[in-house]
Parts: sequence; C-alpha cells; structure tokens
Amino acid sequence: MGLILNPSPLSHNSLIASIFTPCVTEDSLPPCRSITDLPGKKKEGNAARYITRSQALKHLQVNTKLFRRLCIYKGVFPREPKKKFRGNHHTYYHLKDISFIRHDPILEDLRAKSAYAKKVTKAKAKKNKELADILIKRQPQIKLDRLVLERYPHFVDALRDLDDPLALVHLFASLPASDRMKIEVKRVHNCRKLSHEWQAYISRTHKLRKVFVSVKGIYYQAEVEGQKITWLAPHGLQQVLPDDDVVYDVLLNFLEFYETLLAFVNFKLYHSINVKYPPILDPRLEASAAGLLPLSYFLGDCLGVWVHLEQVAASVELYALSRYFDTNYRTAEQIDGTERDESELRLAQLQHQLPSNEPGALMQLVKGAADENEEDEDTKECKKLFKNMKFFLSREVPRESLLFVIPAFGGVVSWEGEGAPFEEADQSITHQIVDRPTQGHIYLSREYVQPQWVYDCINARIILPTEAYMVGRVPPPHLSPFVDNEEEGYVPDYAETIKRLQAAAKNEILPMPGLGKEDLEDPQNLLAEGYLSRAEAIEAAERKRTLLTKSNSKLMQMMALEKQYHDELKMELQGNQYSSSAVDKNKQISGEDSNNEEAREEESLPDMQDTAKDAANMSTLLMSRKTRGLYEAMKIGKEKKKADVSLLKERKKRIQKIQTQNTKKN
Amino acid sequence: MREGKKGSTGASSLKKKEKLKKTKTNQNHNEEDNNTIITKKKNTKKTAKKVQFEKQEEEPLQKKKQQQQQLPTTDSQSESGSESDYEDFSEDDVSEDYELLRQSEDGESESSGEEVHGNHSDSGNDDYHGLEDHSNSSESHQGVEESDSSEDEVVPRNTVGDVPLEWYKDEKHIGYDISGQKITIKERQDKLASFLASVDDSKNWRKIYDEYNDEEIELTKEETKLICRLLKGKAPHAEFDPYPDYVDWFKHDDALHPLSNAPEPKRRFIPSTWESKKVVQYVRGIRKGLIKLDEPKEEEQRFYLLWGDDSSAAEQANRLSYIPAPKPKLPGHEESYNPSLEYIPTQEEINSYQLMYDEDRPKFIPKRFTSFRSIPAYENAVKDSFERCMDLYLCPRVRKKRINIDPESLKPKLPSQKDLKPYPATCYLEYKGHKGAVMTISTDASGQWIASGSTDGTVRIWEIESGRCLRIWEIGEAVQYVAWNPVHELPLLAVSAGQDVLILNSGFGNQEDQRKVKELLHVQTPTALDDSDNMASIVSWHQDDKHDGIRLKHFKTVTSVEWHRRGDYLSTVMPADILLFLSKKLSHRIPFKLHGLPVSSVFHPTRSVFFISTKKNIRVYDLVKQKLIKKLETGLREVSSVAIHPAGDNLIVGSREGKLCWFDMDLSSKPYRVLKCHPKDITNVAFHRSYPLFASSSDDCTAYVFHGMVYSDLNQNPLIVPLEILRGHKTSNGRGVLDCKFHPRQPWLFTAGADSVIRLYCH
Repeated sequence: MGLILNPSPLSHNSLIASIFTPCVTEDSLPPCRSITDLPGKKKEGNAARYITRSQALKHLQVNTKLFRRLCIYKGVFPREPKKKFRGNHHTYYHLKDISFIRHDPILEDLRAKSAYAKKVTKAKAKKNKELADILIKRQPQIKLDRLVLERYPHFVDALRDLDDPLALVHLFASLPASDRMKIEVKRVHNCRKLSHEWQAYISRTHKLRKVFVSVKGIYYQAEVEGQKITWLAPHGLQQVLPDDDVVYDVLLNFLEFYETLLAFVNFKLYHSINVKYPPILDPRLEASAAGLLPLSYFLGDCLGVWVHLEQVAASVELYALSRYFDTNYRTAEQIDGTERDESELRLAQLQHQLPSNEPGALMQLVKGAADENEEDEDTKECKKLFKNMKFFLSREVPRESLLFVIPAFGGVVSWEGEGAPFEEADQSITHQIVDRPTQGHIYLSREYVQPQWVYDCINARIILPTEAYMVGRVPPPHLSPFVDNEEEGYVPDYAETIKRLQAAAKNEILPMPGLGKEDLEDPQNLLAEGYLSRAEAIEAAERKRTLLTKSNSKLMQMMALEKQYHDELKMELQGNQYSSSAVDKNKQISGEDSNNEEAREEESLPDMQDTAKDAANMSTLLMSRKTRGLYEAMKIGKEKKKADVSLLKERKKRIQKIQTQNTKKN
Repeated sequence: MREGKKGSTGASSLKKKEKLKKTKTNQNHNEEDNNTIITKKKNTKKTAKKVQFEKQEEEPLQKKKQQQQQLPTTDSQSESGSESDYEDFSEDDVSEDYELLRQSEDGESESSGEEVHGNHSDSGNDDYHGLEDHSNSSESHQGVEESDSSEDEVVPRNTVGDVPLEWYKDEKHIGYDISGQKITIKERQDKLASFLASVDDSKNWRKIYDEYNDEEIELTKEETKLICRLLKGKAPHAEFDPYPDYVDWFKHDDALHPLSNAPEPKRRFIPSTWESKKVVQYVRGIRKGLIKLDEPKEEEQRFYLLWGDDSSAAEQANRLSYIPAPKPKLPGHEESYNPSLEYIPTQEEINSYQLMYDEDRPKFIPKRFTSFRSIPAYENAVKDSFERCMDLYLCPRVRKKRINIDPESLKPKLPSQKDLKPYPATCYLEYKGHKGAVMTISTDASGQWIASGSTDGTVRIWEIESGRCLRIWEIGEAVQYVAWNPVHELPLLAVSAGQDVLILNSGFGNQEDQRKVKELLHVQTPTALDDSDNMASIVSWHQDDKHDGIRLKHFKTVTSVEWHRRGDYLSTVMPADILLFLSKKLSHRIPFKLHGLPVSSVFHPTRSVFFISTKKNIRVYDLVKQKLIKKLETGLREVSSVAIHPAGDNLIVGSREGKLCWFDMDLSSKPYRVLKCHPKDITNVAFHRSYPLFASSSDDCTAYVFHGMVYSDLNQNPLIVPLEILRGHKTSNGRGVLDCKFHPRQPWLFTAGADSVIRLYCH
C-alpha cells in the first residue's frame, strides 16, 4: 500500500508545476515561438502588429548593442502605432520589421563575429599575443553590399538619403584617430578618401549649387540626378572629441554602413562618366600626400603642425584626384565626341534612306538626342561662372574647401606649396585669395580678395564687385542661400543689393508694382512678374491694414488702388487694349467713393474695428474643435514668425540709429 | 557410521578441551576479581585474544574435519552431525556461540541439503542417486566456502506461482512440479497421531508446515540462529563483520619513490620521424610557393556596379513602406559666420535667455567673426552628429501630412449674411428709466408693449414704437421675472419678486377683456385654504389690493415664471421646486422627482409636454400621462436658460460657462452642436416665434444673433449661422446683458442690460 500511495503526491506536485510554469516563465519564450503565439487571449490590432523594444530584444535573442547595430545596418526604425498599447514610455517596432531582421543572415554573421571576438579576448587574457594577433588577422569580415542594395533598390533612393552619410563621413575625415574612442587611423583615411572622391566628382561635373559658411562648418549643396544633396563639412581645424554624452559605437556603426554606401555611390557615379573606380592617382602626388599623412599622424602631439600638414596633404590628394579626373574625363569626352560623330554619321545615312518628304520629323529627332546629351541649364551656368579666371590661394586660406569649390564653377586654382600647378608669380592670375590683415607685396595685375567673395559669388551666381572684400576690410554679411527671404518676410540689406546686382547683370530693371509693361512679348514672363508684383501689393495692403486705426480713409483709397491695379492686371492678361482714359475713370470713381465713405466711416470708427473682429470670430464659432485647434496653432506660428521679423527690424533700426549718431559725431 | 561417530566424538572431545580452557580462564578471572576495574578490562582483552588464538588453532582442525567429512559415503553422517550440533546448541554457552557456529557451518549446510534431497526422493530413490547429490553439494560448498545462498535458491517444487491455494481447495493436487506432474496432497495424519509424534519428536518446535509445497520443513539450527539475530537487530549473517580490522596493503619499508624509478626510455629523446616528414613536406610547399605565410589579405573591398540596371531592381511588395528620415533643417542667415548685425542678439537679450524655460531657449546664439581665419572649430560638431544618429535609429517615424495652407481656408463656408436678412443688427431705440439693473423683459403678444422688471423694485410697461414708459408698478422688491400672458385677450402680467408671484392686470384691451380679467383676478382666500394642506404650505393665493391683482406666496424665492401657450397655466420655478398653477386658482406641484435643483422650465409650444432643466440635464415630461419622456444630457457644467423652437423639436440651452447647445430632439439626446461663443455666463437664450432666428445674451455685454433654420425635411440637419454680435451695453457690477427677448412679429431683439437700459435692435 505504501508503495502505491507514495507516488501519488509526487505526481500531484508535478501536475501543479506544469500548470504554474508557463505563468512564471511567460517572458522567456522559446525562440521558435513567435510573439503572437502567446498563450491566452489572441491579440488583435496594434498589439498584434507592434512590439516594444524589449520584446523585440527577447524575440531576436540579442543584446541591446547587437540590436542597435542590426537596426542601423538594416535601417529599421521605430514606428508610431495609433494606439500605444503598452503606454507612452515604450518604443514600438513593427513586427514585420523585426521579423525582417530575424530572417537576415547578417544576424548570424554578427553573432559569429561576437563569438570570434570572445576568442580574441580570451587569447589576450591568457597573454597569448601570437594567437591573438593571428586571430585578429583572420577576423571574419562582414559585407554590407547586399544590405545597401536592399535598402536602396534604386540609385535615386540612395542619392536621396545621402545627406547624412556625407555629413558623417566628412566629419570623420576631420577627426583625429583615437584608440580610446576606437577611431582607427585606417577609417579616418578611408573617410577622407571617400569624401575627396565625392568632392572630385561633384567638382568635375559642376554639380555644386550652393555653399554656405556657417559657424558649424561649411554647408554644400549639390544637385545630382535631380536630387538636392546637402552636407556639412566641418572647418579644417582640430576637432574636439567629447567624452561624455557621445556613444562612439553608435557613430561608428553608422559610419560602417555609410562608408560602404558612399563607396558604391561613388563607383556608380564614376562609372556614369566613364571613369575607373577606385581612381588611380598620380603616383608622384600620391606619394607626397602619403608621405605627409603618416608624418602628420606621428606628429599628432603638436596640434598646429598636425592640422596644417593634414590640410596640405589633403589638398594635395584632392588635387591629385582632380588631375586624374581631368585626364580621364577628357578622354571620356573624346570618346563621347567620337560616339556622337558616329551617331551623326548614322543619322545621315538614315536620312539618305528615309523618304525626303519628312525632313522635319527627323530634324526634331536629332534635336532631342542632342538635348539629352547636354547638361541642364543650371550646370551650364555654374560651369561658366569662373570661366577665364585664375585663382591663387595664399597659405592661410582654407585650401581644401576652395580647391573643391573653385573648379566646380569653372575656375583654375593654384596654391602656395608643394605640387602646385603654377606659381604665385604667374602673371595670368586674376584673383589672389588672401585672409590676412595686410598684404605685403602686391601684384597690380590681380585682385586681392577675401575667401568669402568666392562663396558669395557662387551663391549669387554673378561676379560681385571686389571692393567690399578687399584685404583688411570687414566683409559684408555672408547670407544663407537656403533661405527664401520673401517667405521669411524679412530681406536683409545685402540680399537686396545682391538682387539689384543680379538684375543689373541681366540688364534688366525690376518691375515696380502698378507699372504695367505693355512692351513685354513673353506671356510667361509677364505672368511671373504679375504674380510677383501682386504678392508685393498684397503685402503692402497687409501693412496698411495694420495702420487701419490711423487713417481709415487712406485704407479705402489703397483698397481702391489695389483693386484698380488688379483690374489692370486682369486686362493685361486678357490682352485687352489698355486705355489711359479707363484708368482715369476708375480713379475718379474710386476717389468719389472714398470721399463719400470717409464721412460715414469716421464716426463709427470703433464699430468698424469691432465688426472686423466679429467677422473673424463668427466663422471660428462653427469650427470643430480639431480644426479650431489647428487654426489657432497656425495663427500662433504666423505670429511667432512675425514677432521674429519685427525683432529683426527693431534691432536694425537701433543699429542704424547708433551708426548715424557715430557718423554725426565724426 | 563409525567414522562419522568418530568424527563427532572427535569434535566433542575438542570442545571439551575448549571448555576446560575456558574454565581455566574463568578461574583466572575469579582469581583476579579482587583487582581494580581497569585491570579487569585488560583481562577481558586478554581473554579475547586468547579466544582468537584458539580460533586460529581451530582452523586447521576444521579443515581436517572437512576432509574427514568428505570421505564418508553414507547418508547417516548428516544425522549424526546434526545431532552433535544440536547438543552443542543445547549446551547453551553463549560466549561460545561464535566458535560453535564456525565449526558446525559445513555440517549444517550439508545436512540441510541432505534433508531436501531426502524429502525429494521419498518416492524411492536409490542410494547411488543420493550419493551423487551429496557429492555435488559438498563440491559446491568447497568452491564458495562462506556463501549460504544455497538455502535461498531452493527452487519451490510447486510451479503454480503466487496464487491463493484456495483455488485447489477441492482438488486432490495443489499444483504441478517442474516436469508438469501433479503434486498430490499427501495423506495427513490424524491429529492424535500428529500430536503424539510431535510430543515424541524433540525437534518438533523447529518444524513448519509449508502449505504451498505440501511438506514439512524443519528449520535448521543455522536458520533459527539467523532468525534470532534478525530479532536482535544484528546483521543476519554471523560472519559479517561490521568493523573489520584495517589491512595495510602497502609496504612502507625499502621504497625510495612511490612509483617506478625506472630511467626515461630512449624513444623520448629521439625526434619523431613522422613529424620530420611533415616538416619536410611543409618546407617544400613553402619553397615551391604552394603555401604562403602571413599573406596580407586583400584589403580593398571590391566595389562594383551595385545599381547596374535600375529597371531590373525588383520592388519588394511585401516590405513595409520606408519612411525616409526628415532632412536636417537648412541653416538660415543667423547661422552664418558673418551674419548681418541685426541677427546678433544684444547682451541683454542673451541674459534674458537665462530666464527662459529650457524648451523656449534658442538652441543657437548667432556670433559674428569678421574674417574667415578667426572662425574657431565648432565644439559641438561630434555631439550634433551623434544626436542626429540617435534620432535616425531611435526616433519613431510617422508619415504626417503637412498642410501648407492659408489658415483662413480652414474656416467653414457660411452662407452670406445678406441672404439671411432680416435680422437685428443695429441699435434702434433705448428705453431708459429704470434706476437699477433691468433683470427681465417680456413682450406683449400684440407686439405693442414691453414689460420690464428691475432690481429697483419696479415693473414698467413701455410702448415699443415710441419708447414711452406707460405704466409703473412699485413692487418694493427686486423683480426677478416678468411674463406676459401669451393670450391676446388676457392682458395679464406675471411678476416674480422675492418669494411672491404677482399676477397683475396690465389694463390693456377692450371693455370685455377687462371684465374678464377682473373676474379672473378676483380670489377668495378660503378657496385657497380648501386646497390640499400640502399645497397650502407651499403656496397660498391672496388678493392683492394694492396692485389690483393676485399674490401667490411661496416659501422660497421664485426665479422664473412661465405661461402656458393658452394662457391658462402658469409655472413657477423655485430653487427647490416647480409648481404648476391652474388658472382656476389651483396649484399643483410637479409630481416628479428631480435629480438636482431646477433652473428653469418651458412649456412645449404645441403639445402638453413640459421641459425642466436642472443644472446638468434637461428632463422632458408628458403632463397628461405624467411620465418622463426623455432626458437630454447637455454635458455642460451649469445650465442657466432654456428656449424651445416654435416647432417644438429643437431646443437651445445656455450655460454659465458661455456655451450654447443646440438639441435636435429627433436626432439624439446629446447636443447636435455646441457653440462656445461667450467668454462669460450666458444669461438668457431666446427663439424668435416666426423668423428662423435665435439669440443669446451674456454677461460679457454682448448678445449674439444666430440664424437657426429648421427644415421640415427630417433628413436635413438644422443650419446654424452666427449672424451678428450686438454690443452697446455697459458692464456694471460685473454683469452685462441680463435678458434678451425677440419681438413677437418683427425680427427685432430687446436686450436688458445691467446698466439699467433696455435696447431695441432692428434690422
């Protein structure tokens, strides 16, 4: 009996255990099970579609570091579910994204790599240096090519997302190598190489559009295949590596992917202009650059020297690259030319074969082909900007940037130092760029300007007068080319002068609002102008509306004028005959009207104000709460913008006052 | 037999010797008894040693005896052995048990085996057979001297297994032997014979009957001893020694090393030929260039045309949509190294940033450097790009539609106000005369007169057209509410002031009307007393001689008075109760339970339905059935006033938080539309009787006029358009417009202000 009884409590215990275990170990699921298979209620909606970050970690069986790396490589980002089923303080990933990571072989590769890293650390811990070295040498390499193609199935996609890669690569190109932050010399050099290759391409194909020197660095904007790519290159100075609040692993992980991406993009771009990639540089120049670079690294202690040498080396490298380009590109062009000749020949043959009654169609065909070959107008314009100009850079000038920028706009550059294509004494130099308080020896044949002149010319797309940029002077303000002044509502003075100069360069005078031009043939131009002037008129009207309290009658007159102007515009557009008598008539009527209204409105002036307000209020009454919120938010935004502009104007007024006082004193 | 006897006698003689020795030792004991206890112990040890010694001596003797026992071939030997054993046992010297056991061991086992065989061959086996068996058993005993397992391994004769013998109860046999023969039950002796036999047999106490095999088993002496030992709790086998002496197997003397001290063999000093062969192989390989050592790996990653043909790139339909990260904001003028002067904040402004909240503080303070060479390195370059990277992989991305539209386009399209004319828009007349705030106004059904009540304790009647004050009643108390009787023929005026409601004769109308009115206003005090005593306590009807009317006395202040459309009912609202009065001078309390204090009440314009609003809800009652029809949830904090559309299906509610609710009762019990128009309390709301207009007046000194069109088509929702904001009243004591009423026929609005003025707004 005893024997029979004994097992029963045991079996009872085991039964209980089997019931409770799933509850206790609910979190640690077996890996084969998907998250949606959790026992219990079947999940639906957002809870089924999204998982939180910690859940994802468990699901993939990776640690945070590895997960971060995977996310960075795969380009997986958190998404915002409509309803956050776990609360606001969680990060949500889409389940599909996570399973997308899970099925990628890169996960296994990374795991293998971390396992391999353990071997190395073990060898090191045992002081087996030989083994450690061998292991390190044989480390498995992870290839990201497939991921690049997966993330950017089309080349245009890659170009669209190129802003961040370029910025990071340019940043790392200027960072000092550091063992503590795990920034290797090799990587810094690779970054520098990649950035120079990119710059060389942009410069040679004249794709650069805008440059802006800011406190943070130099912003460049290029247009490649219709995509505007903007990147920030830090100033060529020693960068500080902050210890806290920066996790370098994150940066390096991003950099790893970006390096691969940029290399492939460069390959594609070089391929598109029939140049071999990676470029083979002039051995002499490369040698000098290579000689300088390691030197610069070893001299890392004395920073000034380091930076200088680095710059010199970099510039030499860049020049070497451009030289390489020149030769290759020319050959490529020649090839192009021969091809074109061939095609023309073929076309001629075709023409012979075709019946002669359709020459027009064929001509058009030829034209179309020619157009395709040609660069777009912007590129042409950029190419011509510094044509027939020779620049010489002094020692103190930021060489890397200018060596990139000037050739991009068709100029020829040289510098003081090794490997320069021509000397300072060259008589054909038109501009010498200097950045020092005074210039000792002056060649009369050339103009001495500060570097800002180059950038301002590029942004304005005209050759600006050099007086303001002479040596020792404080240059005029450097304005951002990325700002639409009209939209901001505030136009700095210098922007206006530039505008005027541009107009002067085009031999045109800006049309004034209200002055109709009858002799304009081009309807498109007219339309554009009309639009412009109308916008201005509206702005003026708005300004006047604020002055409403001061003089109501004036407003009415203005309104009448505006109306008249609009009518005129309409008539113009319709192509009606424009008669001065009609204008007179209009004016008379409006004058009468305004006179009549004046008397009536002046007595009930406050009422008018109220009614204006009321009218605005009325329709907001009936808005739904959501739209009303949106409306209010928009209003607040507009008001803020307005406040900013008014602040600027106020400051400007104050400054002007001080200046006038100063001049009076003097 | 002789030899066996000799053997036994030999053995017995030996034992006798031992006995003698023992007695000697005992004697020694006795001699030394006088000594101390310690010595006694020593002695006992000595005796033990002696016993051992004796034992050693005995061993060869035993062997001899065994040899002797092997020699005889007769069966009877066993019997004699057993006999001797028995004798020994019976001698009962406990100290000698051990030795005795040793001696008798072999004999016993043999005897037991013999017995079995004897029983087995009871059917008549010849001697030869038994001899053979015997020799076998003796051989086995020689092989394993100390094992006594033969006893355990006796195979049961019966092969039926572990079945109850009851099953064979009726059979003559009890089972089958190994060859399949039936084992028949032996003839049992009768009890007497068996008893006698048992008495005679001295070994009877050791005999057990085995029912299963149908035989009697005689327990051997050994077996009995085993049982004895088990009972004592000792090990069953006597020869088992729980505390054996330690035997030191290792020889300690004469050993320099623990293991072998042999010299290293030669082969260990000779290089392995296999290895040398391998080395030669490698060396050849290296020389020939087949094996390359430390070859630097091809560093350069091979790049190729990744996007060869864009058209071929397969679209992955299964993937989630990729949301590109928003591009960083492009820098403005202020980020320039040399911005215009106006972008640089003054020192005071920079200081003022310190007072700002972190979120509001500008992230970037513009600086100006006069030359290119003076630009320093940007200290936050790495940090900025790190933050950007963090954003790229950690920020949730959502696709959001950014609308870049003019905010004005968000406003709903309203029909133009011109089309909705006429509506009151401009102030046309002001009725001045009151000394205090005008609390309430009411328009006459004919549209000629307007009555007003004020806090100065007067009720006035004005002519609408001229603004002339026609009549004044001095009530003496602040007037809360005035209401004209809606019936044209009964120009009565109900006035609530304090706790009283007065029904006054306005004095308009022709002779006949006046006569009727006079009749109506005559009240006999006793009739009031005749009413149910409950009602009398709440309200009492009195004749008011001073004003020539009726005075209804309540026990609390009356906040509002409302006439039924036919003019024969009247309702008054007290903060605690609502009463319905019949024109037959009867009062009736609302028989419903209200949740919350009543605020105001309205009669349905066409049906016998009654609306009561509490602070939160509005309850709709059927007066005929005396039943609650509907409950409207306003969702407001505190309702202040209610008005009903002349068609009776729509209701507007004004609240103290300045919200106006429009209820479409066919649609839902929730508001169809809520308009937040007034910043302060809404004091009153009013519908126009014929025009699609409604108005609200508020303490913020404004009155709103709305167009509220109710379509007869039930599918079309009512159209609400705000039309006009009427201003003009001035605030006093924090109160603005206190009442608003429409003219019964014209689209005119009267407003009563706290500034003691009544205004008329016309179209």
